[in-house]
Amino acid sequence: MVFLEAQLSWTVLIPPESLFAEGLKLQQAIVLRLLEEVSCRKASKELGYFVAVTSLESVGEGQLQELTGNVIFPITFRCVTFKPLKGEVLVGAIRKVLRHGIMLAAGPLEGVFLSAKAMGDGYEYLPRDEPVFLSEKLSRLESGGAVRFKVLGLKWMEEDREFQVLATMAADFLGPLISDDD
Amino acid sequence: MSAEEEENAAELKIGEEFLKAKCLMNCEVSLILDKKYEQLQNMSDDPLSQTSQVFEKSLQYVKRFSRYKNSETVKQVREVLSRNRLAEFELCVLGNLCPETVEEAIAMVPTIKSKGRFQDDDAIDKMLRDLSLIKKFE
Repeated sequence: MVFLEAQLSWTVLIPPESLFAEGLKLQQAIVLRLLEEVSCRKASKELGYFVAVTSLESVGEGQLQELTGNVIFPITFRCVTFKPLKGEVLVGAIRKVLRHGIMLAAGPLEGVFLSAKAMGDGYEYLPRDEPVFLSEKLSRLESGGAVRFKVLGLKWMEEDREFQVLATMAADFLGPLISDDD
Repeated sequence: MSAEEEENAAELKIGEEFLKAKCLMNCEVSLILDKKYEQLQNMSDDPLSQTSQVFEKSLQYVKRFSRYKNSETVKQVREVLSRNRLAEFELCVLGNLCPETVEEAIAMVPTIKSKGRFQDDDAIDKMLRDLSLIKKFE
């Protein structure tokens, strides 16, 4: 998956009890608040998933909220992000094998569906305790295995703050990876 | 990207940020996240409480699927790929998927062929062989 290092400008809210601390402590409070905020927002439609804050670039002048005593600081920081793109080739892990297709995850991207119709190569569903798809060439798709797929389409789900992806395996050089190749 | 429908990585029709900003490969992100986790350990007694689910899932993912593990080789991979006139996005896809043949490379990143970045297939082949050499000596 292709990650991006983005520069972002947000604001963080610091409660009064953190403000009376020494300079370095205030910096630490801002960083911790930012990490919480990143974790809470999870992802955005434009930038994708917020993976990790790499550096705090600048902290602007704080603005006091008179009623609460909280101070709002404008900050800029760098963050590693990941957004799936239509047409992109990704590797994912199989989470679940269903009759109509398989569910895959690629890191934070968990809602990837590969329909049986988009598998190509005549894959057939075998219902067992641990169901699998088996192809004419004896390639298998089973829970835990790795698959190289292409993103056919994607949709941003505002409520869950995540992307849902439709995948295809019907092209050359796509398909299950042998475990050594992970 | 104004019209969302037009986005297509296979044609390199992607957001400006993916063409200009620094893109990162799995192996590079793996190093960054490792370092980050170490820093958090120094900053807090309970580092796990400071990492998000997105962080943890990304870390697990890049650990499993990175082709190159140590920082020296990761640098070399970017250097080898940078010798060619690739867009950042193309560079990262190739570094992540490590195609073995010219046909596979073109299937993964069709634009390396259509944009005339390589003189001929031999030039692509040379890049792929350089990449697999790095892997062999890691």
